[in-house]
Amino acid sequence: MQTPIDRRTMLRRMSNGFGSVVLANLLGSERLFSATLGPHFPGKAKRVIFLFLNGGLSQVDTFDHKPVLQKYHGKPMPTENPKTESVTGNLLGSPFQFRKRGQSGLAISDLFSQLGEFADDMCVIRSMQTDRPAHDASFFLMSTGHNLAGRPSMGAWITYGLGVENQDLPSFVVLCPGLPTVGPQLWGSSFLPGKHQGTHVVNSEVAPEKLIPNVRNTKISADSQRKQLDFLSKLNRDHSQRHAQDPQLESAIATMETAYRMQTEAMDAFDIRKESENTREQYGDSHFGRGCLLARRLVERGVRMVQIFTGPGQPWDSHDDIMDHKKLCKDADPAISSLIRDLKTSGLLDETLVILGGEFGRTPAAEISAVVKVQNGRDHNSLGFSTVLMGGGIKGGMAYGATDDFGYRAVENPVHVHDLHATVLHQLGFDHTRLTYRYGGRDFRLTDVEGNVVKAIVS
Amino acid sequence: MRLLIFLLAAHALFADEASDFFEKEVRPVLAKNCSACHTATALGNLSMTSGEALRKGGNSGPAIMPGKPDESLLIQVVSHTHARLKMPPSGKLSDAEIGALKQWIADGAVWPETSVPKPKPGAGYQITVDQRAFWSFQPVKKPAVPAVKDAHWVKSPVDAFLLKAMEAKGIRPTTPAPKHVLLRRLYLDLVGIPATPAEADAFERDASPNALRSVVETLLSSQRYGERWARHWLDVARYTDDKLNIVADEPYANSFRFRDWVVKAFNDDMPYDLFIKAQLAGDLLPMKDREPLLPGLGFYGMSAQYQEDRPDVTGKAFLGMTVGCAQCHDHKFDPIPTKDYYSWLGIFTNTRLKEYPLANEPTVAGYHKKEKEVEELQKELDRFRQSQSRLLAEILAARIEKYIPAAYQVMGPRKSMVANVAKAAGLDEGVLQRWVDYLGRMDHEGDYLKAWQTLLADGGDARNVGEALQAEVLTLHTEIRGVEEKNLATLGGAEGNPALAKIVLLPYPRDKYVFWAGLFGDSRTGFTNRKDVRVLQYAGDDLDRFLHGLWKEYSQELKAKLEAKKKELPTKYPFLHIVEDVEKPKNMQVHIRGNADSLGEEAPRAFLSILSPESPAPFTKGSGRLELAEAIASPKNPLTARVMVNRIWAQHFGSGIVRTPSNFGQLGDRPSNPELLDYLAARFVESGWSVKAIHREIVLSSAYALSALPVEANLKVDAENRLVWRANVRRLDVEALRDSVLAVAGTLDPAVGGPPTPINDENNRRRTIYSFVSRRKLDATLATFDFPNANDSSEQRILTNTPLQRLYLLNSKFVMNQSRAFADRVKELAGSGPAAGVKQAYRLALNRQPSTEELRWGQEYLASGEPLSSLAQAIFSSNEFLYRQ
Repeated sequence: MQTPIDRRTMLRRMSNGFGSVVLANLLGSERLFSATLGPHFPGKAKRVIFLFLNGGLSQVDTFDHKPVLQKYHGKPMPTENPKTESVTGNLLGSPFQFRKRGQSGLAISDLFSQLGEFADDMCVIRSMQTDRPAHDASFFLMSTGHNLAGRPSMGAWITYGLGVENQDLPSFVVLCPGLPTVGPQLWGSSFLPGKHQGTHVVNSEVAPEKLIPNVRNTKISADSQRKQLDFLSKLNRDHSQRHAQDPQLESAIATMETAYRMQTEAMDAFDIRKESENTREQYGDSHFGRGCLLARRLVERGVRMVQIFTGPGQPWDSHDDIMDHKKLCKDADPAISSLIRDLKTSGLLDETLVILGGEFGRTPAAEISAVVKVQNGRDHNSLGFSTVLMGGGIKGGMAYGATDDFGYRAVENPVHVHDLHATVLHQLGFDHTRLTYRYGGRDFRLTDVEGNVVKAIVS
Repeated sequence: MRLLIFLLAAHALFADEASDFFEKEVRPVLAKNCSACHTATALGNLSMTSGEALRKGGNSGPAIMPGKPDESLLIQVVSHTHARLKMPPSGKLSDAEIGALKQWIADGAVWPETSVPKPKPGAGYQITVDQRAFWSFQPVKKPAVPAVKDAHWVKSPVDAFLLKAMEAKGIRPTTPAPKHVLLRRLYLDLVGIPATPAEADAFERDASPNALRSVVETLLSSQRYGERWARHWLDVARYTDDKLNIVADEPYANSFRFRDWVVKAFNDDMPYDLFIKAQLAGDLLPMKDREPLLPGLGFYGMSAQYQEDRPDVTGKAFLGMTVGCAQCHDHKFDPIPTKDYYSWLGIFTNTRLKEYPLANEPTVAGYHKKEKEVEELQKELDRFRQSQSRLLAEILAARIEKYIPAAYQVMGPRKSMVANVAKAAGLDEGVLQRWVDYLGRMDHEGDYLKAWQTLLADGGDARNVGEALQAEVLTLHTEIRGVEEKNLATLGGAEGNPALAKIVLLPYPRDKYVFWAGLFGDSRTGFTNRKDVRVLQYAGDDLDRFLHGLWKEYSQELKAKLEAKKKELPTKYPFLHIVEDVEKPKNMQVHIRGNADSLGEEAPRAFLSILSPESPAPFTKGSGRLELAEAIASPKNPLTARVMVNRIWAQHFGSGIVRTPSNFGQLGDRPSNPELLDYLAARFVESGWSVKAIHREIVLSSAYALSALPVEANLKVDAENRLVWRANVRRLDVEALRDSVLAVAGTLDPAVGGPPTPINDENNRRRTIYSFVSRRKLDATLATFDFPNANDSSEQRILTNTPLQRLYLLNSKFVMNQSRAFADRVKELAGSGPAAGVKQAYRLALNRQPSTEELRWGQEYLASGEPLSSLAQAIFSSNEFLYRQ
């Protein structure tokens, strides 16, 4: 009889042994990796919802109010005008009204007037920075902590670290009606075990059997399937007995039962038609609205991370006309605010970290390159932009860091994407320098060799 | 004086002997076991870089006391007699190694200072003697096959090496696997599908000593062998069927020629050194007929944009060296300076992509001529349509005064039908419908439609409103066109200018433009998601109904010609993705911290310093690819053969002798059985780099034929089975899994090679190696079953066990269909009767007879009214089918 190896022994081996990969293969990776690595300390958050405004949200039109920009509208930037992707010209004042909202008086524009009701739950990091004003590099950086393809995504790291809460559902779900720019590598697991990769659900569909592949069997009745599984587990148990109850074989038996239950659980979890008409109306009958509603149902059931992309490609990329943001917010604002309201009501917001933002921000100056026509839009800005955090032990009603008078460059307490990632992991109970995985001869982590937790925003 | 000379000579002699002993016996032990933590990093403040440093010691005091081995901390720590410290962390040293250290200290701990090169200030990167002494850089020496106590168990040299190590730890191998298990293992390993019942029966009956050998030979000479083993290499070679393009799908039409070449290379047992050279420098090899080797260049020929990927994959795949780590800084752990990285990168930046046509010159020239004709005609048609489209929009704009009153009849109090109004007023019904849709929208900006809205709300004279709007639109149009013409002049007429992002043009006034674009069409693409109804814009085929007379004739002629030319255009001739040297190769300069704007010293194209005896000689022939290939594919290279035999071993045992197959450096694993690794590496080279020879060494051994049954005592000594005292149970990879299902169901399409086919097509019955492999969007089934990311060289598969995999087995159309096919096959072969059916199903899928109980369970299941296909599906989902024992 094989002596079972306890979790501590296993983890010790992992931390000092060479290929944990190989060990995984030897011992049955499922055992090794579904055995929760577990947080390093009690985290405030247990799960994450990342509302990814792909294309790049304009900070000066939403969460970073700049009266000086208004004053200089139509004039050249009096200070620097750093090189971005395309040529930019004179400053462009925001066409949107800002108002102080909540007890805290956080200034938020009318684009997010409904979400603004939750100003006191919001921490706006106004000094975000990424490395390059290019979509692909910033998509990769924001999603995987590295400018190029090939690293595991944040969601994969999180599920790798936290383990599975609900065995009957995928732990990391990605919602996008189509593919965002760059595509599935944004939620891949790369060298982390494949089970940690995001499950992409194309939420342009509504019926769960269309959302989840193979979740339903149309040919076999539920009774027959149960009988089939009972027959199968008889064979498997007998086989396992003959193999001294090899842990891999035992775990494979358990996984089959999980899959069986998932057929019911996922059909329920992914079915927003089970929500009231009123609720569905509040979220809005849009991709974003249905996405947020699904996200709520999934985190209620213990899914670790839900990442919503607004739409295929990069919808928020308003180079030509910033008024396009208004159309996008028409869907986004009711959807996000309904999500926050519901999470608050159920108390789930306390342990769910909600991230709202794009891969970078936009320039305060108008883009005037030949690719645009009306020169009423903004180019990419990697030097300063806003990301909003809510729930999950983040202090509400505050802004952290600041950009210059025009909203261009982070000048006070810059927060790099690595710092954001470090902070997210911290909220989940991880020391980001210790959540590592050895691959190809070195220890990798989400934050590479960088990252500082933004202590001032965590409660 | 004479005495003095004698003494000096004796001292020199003694010193020579001592330093010899140190270099041969001591330094390698220190380098292998201690250097990682006790040189530059000096953990515990202990540096082990010189005799003096050891005498000084670290936090726990002096490490050695020369002449007193037993009192030396070092010896206590490595012998595990020290109460607290036990080193090294990777496991206790062998008695021989400890003995050498003791001897060395007893003899006075002579550390020949001469062998420590003092880095000269500014002399750049220095590889230390300790680094050179690292195990994987030592030449391969073929060890003698060791003697063991239990000689009966030994069927091959491999067994002797393994058993020797087991006996040293006082354990014995577990029992042999039953014959049918061994046969199933062999089939899955070598050809990736199970044996047929006839093959299984024949093997079961064959009691001759050659039974196993003859099966092995049959399998090694089967076409299916190459299809199985090529895939293992394709993982390492990051093979894909689409181009690196993050914006759009861009499949390669000819990628499969590399894949098929690899399949054939394995089937032909192409010598591995030639296999390497063909992939690195097939175009440069000094031989008459290179063409059969050229497809191998797809190894680089399909990795277009990121040339940084090439040094990385070359190092990992062939040498187990993570050269890519030295891109931004000297390698933190292995002796690979950044300069070496740029020496390699220089080879590849002087290598460019090329299409090598597999067609004769006239065919190639003919294709390009026809392709050009199609392009010209397309351009002409586009140009004509564009001009007509503009003209039409202007004509329609000049009829707004007619369409507005008509729209009012539809949308105003009368609520007339569009068709009726259009007919009565002699207007185009389609255009009127567009006006109605447009005017009915709720999201109009600006004041242009204010008069119309007032008209709708309060009534009034629709003709006036129409006339006023028309006048306004025409003025607006003139203004917009004015800006457009000026901008076009700035651009020199070239709208497709790639530098658009850097050019500044006159802006269009926003509010006017938005309104104008809603009518005339917005030529912007991709930048917004605005879905304007373009009332006046008719393009493409929509335009045709407005063309008449000569215009219509001309348009139809152009279209017909274009169609004809398109039909004439054959599919592009086949070609190979290869590479070639540039005419004038140039060295690169080191990019300091990986930054191309911050250049350091020149890095002449050359081999790695650590694998060169002195400083590496610069490559002089072209890019240097051929010289690189020769340096890698050399019997003298200490890594090449070791790395490859270890990969083969890992596939057979589920785990390598070195468990990090692409990393033989400091942070990689140490070989669990170095003598075995060297024996296999030496055999590999001796056999003429024959991969099949290594298979034979391995699969004909007793070790390969072991069962997976655990032994309590062994688990205590070696739970991880590093000594290979039993077989490792492991899940089938996606290829073996899917191919086995098809083979057992009797539906496997045996076709060999050719263009890839998507496996999300449930009717695709080809082997999984022929499925389309995308680096952009990996097929869901492949991804679910742990297929590696094709953007990067994959060291080994990580096989998981997830619910999504089980849903695939439970519910996917593929598995359902194949279960039915399996059931049909069982019925056909077994005839009627549940017992015969169950027996036949077991024979087909599991190569054995069911036990009495299994037979009973199966019969009961069928008797309860469940169909045979349901039983078939259960067998496909059973652990015995899914796991290789």
